[in-house]
Amino acid sequence: MLVTCVLALLLLSLESVIVHKLGLTVTRIDVTVAIIAFLALRANTLEGAASSFVIGYLLDLTSGRYTGLYTFLGVFLFILGRMVASLVDVRSGFMFALYAMGGDVVHVLLAVLFSWLTAKEAVGAAAILSGLPLQVLLTGVAALALFPLLRRLDRGSDRPQLGTLR
Amino acid sequence: MLSLIKRYRDLILVAGLLLFPFFTFVTRGPNGREPYLVDKGVLAVSGHVERAFAWVLDGTVSVWRGYAALRGVEAENRALREENQALKARALVQDGLRGENERLRALMAYADKNQGHEVVARVVGVDPSSTRHFVRIDRGESDGVTAGMAVITPDGVAGYVERATSGWADVILITDATHRMGVRDEHTHARAIAAGIGGKADLELRLDYALRKDDLTEGDVIVTSGTDGVYPAGLRVGTLSRVEQRGSGMFRAGSIHPAVDPSKLEEVLVLPKVPVPLPAPAKEPQGTGAPGTGGAGVP
Repeated sequence: MLVTCVLALLLLSLESVIVHKLGLTVTRIDVTVAIIAFLALRANTLEGAASSFVIGYLLDLTSGRYTGLYTFLGVFLFILGRMVASLVDVRSGFMFALYAMGGDVVHVLLAVLFSWLTAKEAVGAAAILSGLPLQVLLTGVAALALFPLLRRLDRGSDRPQLGTLR
Repeated sequence: MLSLIKRYRDLILVAGLLLFPFFTFVTRGPNGREPYLVDKGVLAVSGHVERAFAWVLDGTVSVWRGYAALRGVEAENRALREENQALKARALVQDGLRGENERLRALMAYADKNQGHEVVARVVGVDPSSTRHFVRIDRGESDGVTAGMAVITPDGVAGYVERATSGWADVILITDATHRMGVRDEHTHARAIAAGIGGKADLELRLDYALRKDDLTEGDVIVTSGTDGVYPAGLRVGTLSRVEQRGSGMFRAGSIHPAVDPSKLEEVLVLPKVPVPLPAPAKEPQGTGAPGTGGAGVP
C-alpha cells in the first residue's frame, strides 16, 4: 500500500510538471485512475479501498483545494472497478488500458456531475467534456506504460480464479 | 452486535472510507477546507519532487536539443558545420535567456514602480485534475508569500495565492470556476464582476453584474477595480470579447478574453496584500438622529 501511494505521489508530481512543460490546457493524464484500476484488479478489498482513499486524497490535495471529491471518487471508482472486474477478464496490457480508459470516463463524468451539483453555474462542463476524448486516450497510453511496472510491484500477479473477489 | 461488527468489519471500514470524503465534499462544497499540518507536509514533499522532475526534464530537453542540433552535420564540412550548429545552439539558448530576462525585467519594472514586498516566483507545476485551474510556484511562506496575495505577470492578472507552505504556494488562476474578482472598464469605469468558468478548452472569463445602462463595448480593456481586497486597482485583466445587449433588467453579462494565458505562465510576481480601506467613521451628527437612521442627524 505504501509503495502504491508513493508511486501515486511521484506520478502526480511528474504529471504536473509534464503537463506544464507541454503547455497542455485542454486535457490531463489521469495516472491515478490507472493505479486505482490496477488496485481494483489485484488488491484485496480493504487494502485497495484504503490505497484508493490515499490516492484520491493526494489528487485532491495537489489539485489546489481539499474538497474531498477526488478522495470519494477514488474509493467509489475502486468499488465500481471491483464489480466490473468480476465480469471481465483483464490480463493483457491492452485490456488493462481499455479498463483504465473506461474508469477515466466514469471518473471525469462523476467529477463534472458532482462539481456541477454543488456549483451549477461555476463549472465549465462543456469545456471539460470537450477535452475528455484526448484525456481518456492519454490515460490509456499511461496505463499501458504503467502496466508492467504495476505488475512488478504487485507480488501476486496471477489471478487464481476468474471473477472472484479476494 | 459485536459479532455483526466483526463479521462486516471490512464492509464497514470501506463504507467509512467512501462516506467520510463524500460528507466532507457535501458539507464544504467546492471551496474545500484549509490545509492541515499533514496536508502541508505532503505538499512540501510533492513540491520538492516536482522541482526535481522539472530539473531533470529541463536538463534532458537541453541535451536533446543539443543532440538534435548537431545531428545533420555532413562529413565534408564537419568542423565548419559543427561550429555553425554550436553557434546556433548557443544563440537559441541566448534567445531563451533573453526572453526570460525581458520577462523578469518587466516584472522588476513593475516591482520598482510599486514598492513593497513583491516576490518573483517561477511556476513549477500545474494542477493534475481536469476541473480546476491552479499552478504551483516555487516561493512560499519563508519568502513572505502568504494566502490571499495577488499574482500577476507583465501581461496582467494571473490569480491569487490560495495556500502557501514554507517553500511552495498554490495559485488559483482567474480562469478557475471558483474565482471572482472586482473589475471595471478602463475608459468608462463601469464596474462588474469577472468570474472564471473553469474547463480547459475555453479560457474566457464571464462578466457579471454590469449595470445595463453602463457603457460597455466589445474590445474595451478591463482592469481590476481594487474593491475585492485582493487585487490592487488598475491591473489589466483582459479585453471585453462579448457584451450581452438587453432591453430590460438591471444587469447584463458578457465575456472577457484574459490578458494572461494560464498555460504559458513561467515567471510571476507575487504582490503584497492590498490593505482594505475601512470606511471613514461617521461624523457626530449635530442633530438628534442617530447615524444611518435617516433621521434629523443626517445632513
